[in-house]
Amino acid sequence: MSEVSRLNAVDFEARAKQVLSQLPILTAKEVEVTFSLRGQKLTAIRRASLELYEGETLAIVGESGSGKSVFTKCFVGMLDKNGSITHGSIEYDGMDLTQLTEKDWLKVRGRKIAMVTQDPMTSLNPLKTVGKQIQESVELHQGLRGKAAKAEAIRMLEAVGIPEPERRYHQYPHEFSGGMRQRVVIAIAVACKPQILICDEPTTALDVTIQAQILDLIRKLQREQHMTIIYITHDLGVVANVADRVAVMYAGQVIEIGMANEIFFDPWHPYTWALLSALPQLGVKGEKLPAIDGTPPNLFNKIKGDAFAPRNKHALNIDFLEEPPMYDVTATHQVKAWLRDPRAPKVEQPSAIKLLEKQDGRSQGTDPNAYHPHLDPNREPLIEVKNMQVTFGSGRKKFVAVDDVNFTIFKGETFALVGESGSGKTTIGRALVRINPITAGDVYLKGNKINGKISKQQDINVIRSCQMIFQDPMASLNERAKVDYIVSEGLLNYHLYKDEKDRQDKVQNALEEVGLLPEFSSRFPHEFSGGQRQRIGIARALIMQPEFIVADEPISALDVSIRAQVLNLLNDLKKKRGLTYMFIAHDLSVVRFISDRIAVIHKGRIVELAEAEELFLHPLHPYTQALLSAVPNPNPYLERTKKLLVYDPSVHDYSVDKPVWEEILPGHFIYGNAPELDGYRKALNI
Amino acid sequence: MSAEKRRKSVQELEEPVVKLDIDYSKVDTEPEKERPMGREHLAARAMMPEKQLFEFAEYHAQDAERIGYSNYSYWKSVWANFLRKKAALVMAIVFFALFIFTFIAPMISKYDAHNLRVETKLAFTYPNREFWFGTDNLGRDYWSQVWTATRTSIILSVSVSLGQIFVGVIIGLIWGYVRKLDRFFTELYNFIDNIPTIIYMTLIALMIGKSTLVMGIAMIAFYWLGTARNVRNLVFMYRDREYNLASRCLGTRLGRILSKNIFPYLVSVIILRLALSIPGIIAYETTLSYLGLLDVSTPSLGILLRNSRSYFLDYPYLLIFPAAIVSLITITFYLVGNAFSDACDPRNHV
Repeated sequence: MSEVSRLNAVDFEARAKQVLSQLPILTAKEVEVTFSLRGQKLTAIRRASLELYEGETLAIVGESGSGKSVFTKCFVGMLDKNGSITHGSIEYDGMDLTQLTEKDWLKVRGRKIAMVTQDPMTSLNPLKTVGKQIQESVELHQGLRGKAAKAEAIRMLEAVGIPEPERRYHQYPHEFSGGMRQRVVIAIAVACKPQILICDEPTTALDVTIQAQILDLIRKLQREQHMTIIYITHDLGVVANVADRVAVMYAGQVIEIGMANEIFFDPWHPYTWALLSALPQLGVKGEKLPAIDGTPPNLFNKIKGDAFAPRNKHALNIDFLEEPPMYDVTATHQVKAWLRDPRAPKVEQPSAIKLLEKQDGRSQGTDPNAYHPHLDPNREPLIEVKNMQVTFGSGRKKFVAVDDVNFTIFKGETFALVGESGSGKTTIGRALVRINPITAGDVYLKGNKINGKISKQQDINVIRSCQMIFQDPMASLNERAKVDYIVSEGLLNYHLYKDEKDRQDKVQNALEEVGLLPEFSSRFPHEFSGGQRQRIGIARALIMQPEFIVADEPISALDVSIRAQVLNLLNDLKKKRGLTYMFIAHDLSVVRFISDRIAVIHKGRIVELAEAEELFLHPLHPYTQALLSAVPNPNPYLERTKKLLVYDPSVHDYSVDKPVWEEILPGHFIYGNAPELDGYRKALNI
Repeated sequence: MSAEKRRKSVQELEEPVVKLDIDYSKVDTEPEKERPMGREHLAARAMMPEKQLFEFAEYHAQDAERIGYSNYSYWKSVWANFLRKKAALVMAIVFFALFIFTFIAPMISKYDAHNLRVETKLAFTYPNREFWFGTDNLGRDYWSQVWTATRTSIILSVSVSLGQIFVGVIIGLIWGYVRKLDRFFTELYNFIDNIPTIIYMTLIALMIGKSTLVMGIAMIAFYWLGTARNVRNLVFMYRDREYNLASRCLGTRLGRILSKNIFPYLVSVIILRLALSIPGIIAYETTLSYLGLLDVSTPSLGILLRNSRSYFLDYPYLLIFPAAIVSLITITFYLVGNAFSDACDPRNHV
């Protein structure tokens, strides 16, 4: 443990003592929430209990459908109409929140307990100025009027870090970027000076660098206003950043709760183990990630025993029969697992968990025998992109999405393209599979030009060799077609099968290859979970026997437990079939595990390109450095003390010296002008 | 207590500590053998002695992979959902009975609707044993007229409706999906839509002559416009979804994209439009007959309604019979259309 980590460990123990000495300010006891959906009953929360202590940040982690959002909505009385609390109590300030009427809620919601929701794009009124919206909240909850309210609104804008608050006060939400809007939403919530602030995935829709800034902001406001924060997220890196205590939810129950260091370094529920060890940050390149099979249970059905049992590789027989009670690990750490029963076999945590404490997020240690693609003399280029430019619109509305991009993807490698939303990474991916036409430059597949007018035979050839996997598994499958049709669409288009039986065999093989049961072919997509749907999408691409696959953020829309499944599958297929990938992502930590080379793209230009480990060891471009510093790291000790770098594009002065695309080290390319390149060389000591 | 200490305290107990590391390269690749599933599985566990309950269970990757529902069929679910809407179902049955009756009625009636004699003496006879629905202003049997008219109107409106949906949907799909043709179809739409329909109906009637067939075709030629525009706007919602990009990536041809990727999403809306346009067409036919653009020799509900308008204050029965039938048809198609379009929406199939 380094000195910094030790300080933090002490900090956590001090906080644990503090928690034990206090009475909770909010206590949820055995809360059960049921929804009625088309005549069926769905039990979203199955008797979950939780205590919240003053001044702490409690993170609730769970997959989608684990009930983390629904549970906290009970605390502000915002359950959907068809849902109701059917059991249990929520004590707060001498009241039972489950018994409040809508009139009583007005005194609590917003004033005492406020909420920040996920999507900043939809939570502001587009027809009112931002200032007015904050002012409304100020007037309603602080009783200020007129000038005083306006001054307070401007002060709030300033407090959440919006520059020029006076001018911004009069602007409309569409004039703000996503991160700025989320700041405004936070300002509205905080303007009422609530005692408890519930943040429901406030950064999920934002870029990593913006996310880091928002997390900093929330922490700052908490310190200033002494708020208690409940932070809902599925991202363990974010949890490590914000949380004092962590509650893990699965299938509508809190299955493990404890101080952040206890959950990360000494967890005892097999689900928590599985979640943590499935993190790509802990993976060793070239090896399988310990994935969790299957999907969370369907809450329409009655759940017998431990809900996680069918997916649990360490399940006991009793897990299938009876629900485990809560066991104390320490005074602050409880876990709902039979493994802690005195009658259960004594076990040690999986070794991946122990790695977590050692892992420092920077270097995984350089392996002297590591494969360096740029030193391989036999590598052959598969895709070559030369001076590619893609523009949208025309005339005055013309927008250059990608400009002067050059790179080569070699056979058998995974080439990652990393950038924030709007950087043009998806546009490049789509241009390679020819969904987006390119305006200038050329793309070559095995030396043959594939853009512009090409022969029909060549066209079919390109379609067969280049396929794409899409980001959103919900949107990328045709909901009204059976899996059988979806997977065989490519075959049908070019009649790539002998007879009906041959086609069916091919579909079955493709499904098996991606780890789905052959019987799924007669089902419709809406019956599947996100991970399964993503695998159907992969099967659809695979059936064409492609050589090159563009994977457009294939795991960013998936739950943590599912991500590892898909990453493993992609790696397996790469080995088995010798596939080449272009992996588009916004999260550098994932990319490091899966890719051989990484290109960092900013505003339509690739600014740096290097081998994965090289890029993590020697990030040169200020933008790469900022991205790396913003990536959340699932280690509460490190994450809480890290320094955030902010990229300011104005550091580049390209007015005199024109920038060039330069190979600064063998295999390490960077975009910069002469003085910058000198600076980079100095940083590298060459 | 620090993490290390705690781990130690676990180890100090006399039982051996089990290592939980799994070799992930071996898991989930072996084929699954036959084994008891579901209930039997649970029953076997329920009988275990306590000691065995706390032993590790076997792990089956395929159990984890299994999904909630099975044996799902789209059209079966549509049908099952539709059957749940009792009102619509009853109305549908009543409507079919009515339609079949329009074929039986002329057989049991005493007069043939196509060969009615004008008997001014018998004009405005109230319904009686001889004339079940009474007689009209010219003393003709109203019963036979009403049923023949009902049959003509139903056949005309249903076929016009089907025809306009067929043309409108095909054009609407292309209009919405193919960006290059958007301009062309928009201009075409504006052009046709700006001509008052009455003028062009009159022109057709004057040029080709009055016949039910011609009028049917003319009505299709006018009705498809609205459908096409409606479909085009709907296509916009689905056009840029990722699954369409996937299809383009696979080189799927336009026809297949439209029929497999887009059309199925519009089924419920199209069915609603189809159902709702039927009463509309009956009403429109009334307008046309009022202008004298319809062939009067074949009675239709529109013609009967027009004729009875002048006398209905004195002889309300002349209006009540055709109006009741038109109302019945309107309500039926409204209810059935709504119920069926809801049933077609897979979000309602759990």
